[in-house]
Amino acid sequence: MTGTVDIRVSTADAVPSRASRRSVTGTARRILFRLANAVGVLWAAATVTFFIQAVLPGDRATLILNQETGRAVKRTAAEVAPINRRFGFDDSLFAQYLHYIGGLTHGDLGTSYQLKQPVTTLIADQVGPTLLLTVTALVLAWAIALVLTIATAKRGRIRSALGSGFEVVAAGLPQYWLGVILLVVFAINLGWFPVEGGTGLSGLVLPALTLAIPLAGFLGQVTRDEFEKVLDQPFITSARARGMSDLDVRTKHALRHAVLPAITLSGWALGALFSGAVVAELVFARPGLGQVLVGAASARDIPLVSGVVMLVAGVYVVANLLVDLAYGIVDPRLKDGAS
Amino acid sequence: MKCSLLVRRAAPLVALTVVAATIAACGGGADGSAPAGAAGGPALSPAKPVRGGTIEYGHQQEPPCISGGWVEQAYISRQVFDSLVSQVKGGKIVPWLATSWKASKDQLTWTFKLKPNVKFSDGTPLDAAAIKTNFEYWLNPKTLNSTVADYVGEYYESSAALDATTFQLKLKKPYSPLLSALSQGYFGIHSPAGLKRGVDKECVDPIGSGAFVIQKWSRGQNVTFVRNPNYNSPPANAKHQGPAYVDKLVWKFLKEPAVRYGSLTSGQSQVIYDVPSVDWDEASKKYQVLRYLTPGRPQTLSLNVTRAPFDDVKVRQALAYALDRKNAVKSAFGGAAEYNGNGSLSQSTPDYDPALADAYTYNPDKAGQLLDAAGWTKKNGDGIRTKDGKPLKALVIYGAGSIINADGATLLQTLQEQAKQVGFDLELKPLTLTQLFGGQYSTPDTYQATPGYWTSPTAGVLYIVWRQNLKDRPNYNNSAFYNNPELEKTIEAANSTLDPAEQKALYFKAQKIISDEAVAIGLYTRTSSLAIDTSKLRDVWLEDSQGEPVFSDAYLVKQ
Repeated sequence: MTGTVDIRVSTADAVPSRASRRSVTGTARRILFRLANAVGVLWAAATVTFFIQAVLPGDRATLILNQETGRAVKRTAAEVAPINRRFGFDDSLFAQYLHYIGGLTHGDLGTSYQLKQPVTTLIADQVGPTLLLTVTALVLAWAIALVLTIATAKRGRIRSALGSGFEVVAAGLPQYWLGVILLVVFAINLGWFPVEGGTGLSGLVLPALTLAIPLAGFLGQVTRDEFEKVLDQPFITSARARGMSDLDVRTKHALRHAVLPAITLSGWALGALFSGAVVAELVFARPGLGQVLVGAASARDIPLVSGVVMLVAGVYVVANLLVDLAYGIVDPRLKDGAS
Repeated sequence: MKCSLLVRRAAPLVALTVVAATIAACGGGADGSAPAGAAGGPALSPAKPVRGGTIEYGHQQEPPCISGGWVEQAYISRQVFDSLVSQVKGGKIVPWLATSWKASKDQLTWTFKLKPNVKFSDGTPLDAAAIKTNFEYWLNPKTLNSTVADYVGEYYESSAALDATTFQLKLKKPYSPLLSALSQGYFGIHSPAGLKRGVDKECVDPIGSGAFVIQKWSRGQNVTFVRNPNYNSPPANAKHQGPAYVDKLVWKFLKEPAVRYGSLTSGQSQVIYDVPSVDWDEASKKYQVLRYLTPGRPQTLSLNVTRAPFDDVKVRQALAYALDRKNAVKSAFGGAAEYNGNGSLSQSTPDYDPALADAYTYNPDKAGQLLDAAGWTKKNGDGIRTKDGKPLKALVIYGAGSIINADGATLLQTLQEQAKQVGFDLELKPLTLTQLFGGQYSTPDTYQATPGYWTSPTAGVLYIVWRQNLKDRPNYNNSAFYNNPELEKTIEAANSTLDPAEQKALYFKAQKIISDEAVAIGLYTRTSSLAIDTSKLRDVWLEDSQGEPVFSDAYLVKQ
């Protein structure tokens, strides 16, 4: 618990006044709470994933043997014995759980049952392309949503309707369907982008759009509501009265107020994109965690599934921390309100 | 002799090495077997072969390990391993690592003469001791290859290296399909030094003596192979002796059919596996399409004889008559699979009995009579027959997306509808991979019928599938749970004789028993296919034992 020590030192060092001291301990408490929260989320993710997979019907040793031979038969005791011994399936469930959690505390995610490689290695090999894809998708989604909002919100009935109509449709598009359509039209028929495995920039476009378009619709809907409300506020009228151009009013004043709800959503969205990346990676045969996760889940490869789930949980935690920070920047009033 | 074709095409232009290597192959008297199945596509025009380059191959499924006992593993490990022998069309065995072999009179001792001076890609010698190590590794309970064990486990006694190039295998009882069994990719020879590294390393990076060496496995993406420059041990049915023509082979896993086919049409791959049935017609016109009708057990509906209603042979026969399987297969698959009425063996298996294909042609009236005779005379409000107030119901479980693909599922639905016409209520239950392989639907009390197949180059597979399931000798591969000592004895006798005529008669008898008892209803022959863009790549072939794609003879051409 190095966090605690550091915080104590810093509070002891800086004691200029009672007010700021209270605020520093407040911040420390908040950080501590955050950390405990994060650890709690990760622990819960690991525990739930472990138990769900461990208690599902069907024998794990049989599953491993059958997957290795592509067969669906009952296995004899002699066949499953070595597998059970190797992975400790003979131990009580609780003992297996303790062993697993024990490994986690010093960073050991275990070895994949199926792929016979350390989970950390497998994840490290694949996480890069997935992160690149999700972050690109998030940026793209924001770009689409903002351009759409600024260009169409409160700009006459037809333009508004077109904008919000697009958002409604986009938000409802299933990623799998959209991915296949983009693939068939732009990669297979028009040949503008590679069909599979594109690791360069051109290979990133279609998978990122597959994830970004539905999310853009969603972010756009939320931002538009807020944006339209803000445009009716007195300070907008006074800004216009000062002679500010319409674009400046929209981007400099209204937007800052309108994006807060969408920023809140972005924390959730990053996590959702991370798990949604599975679909895009599968459709476009892109490298990444998606294929690994699908294979691991169908094989009930507990260490690997848990590893990926914890990573996704970690992304959620970090993303939400970032969102908190972003609040403070967009709306400085929230910083003071916190203490 | 396919190799002569290459010489004709190659001779006017090319790099001397290619010509020399090709001529050597033909001079060596290679029995160039044509790839199994029909070859379609445009006629080949002369083209300039290129030495070097990269083959981009779009495959479908990714196995958890490169070597092992699953056909998906045989496909991929074939690039790395050589086996003792190879099988060509019609079941004939030709030399590979073994140049000759002999069985003793009692058939209990098999002696193999090995090709001298063969080395694994790690530089260690491939000698008789190495082969002995492999047999012991496959059958050691700790490192068991259960498919190897299914074939030879009951027969294997011991192995010995008499000298560096003489390997001897001792059996407990005669086993005539031995050579066919050995021709499968599961029996590829690993480097003993590689095996010493342990199963985990062997899973990811097996070391063999084959034409290619694994460079990198990017999980979920591809396996990159590089050429083994010292390769000197191709099988006698290869199109040329010596190292592969290309420098690299990228084996990509493209699960989505549209992506796989799109990869070929867009030029990202020169060759793909498993042509999607919707693209079959177009592919046959534009590309060279190789089709391989998988021998062994066809896709068959096993009827569980330990439970009602299929504990009654009349009911089993009635179901067989009730289904118009021929037309149902045609409408579900188009050209992508063939109807296979014989439920024991697929039509491409040596010693397959074609007469049984029509043992149960569609005859709903006869089905009705059989059901009446079996006491299922009344019908309930839904048109389902009943007996003593119980409906004629059966649960059909199937591995969706694994054992049965999307077209296969369509077929099952059609059959379900047809069965209903005569009063059967078949309930279809698709299983996920986890449910299927987890074993909770693999016991007699969990289903009434289930489809399944078993890729095998020999009718000897009947023993694996139909050996009795006894307490002290369980056999869960017998998915009908049909215990018939006479059937087992017949197959065992067939597997023991080296007299081809006697063997054929015995295998025919076994197929007849299975057909008469209607314990397995034949559906279709599992088909694998390759589509090759011959304007870029030539001479890819499918070997005959399991339909493994072979790339060591393939070469790129200048456009």
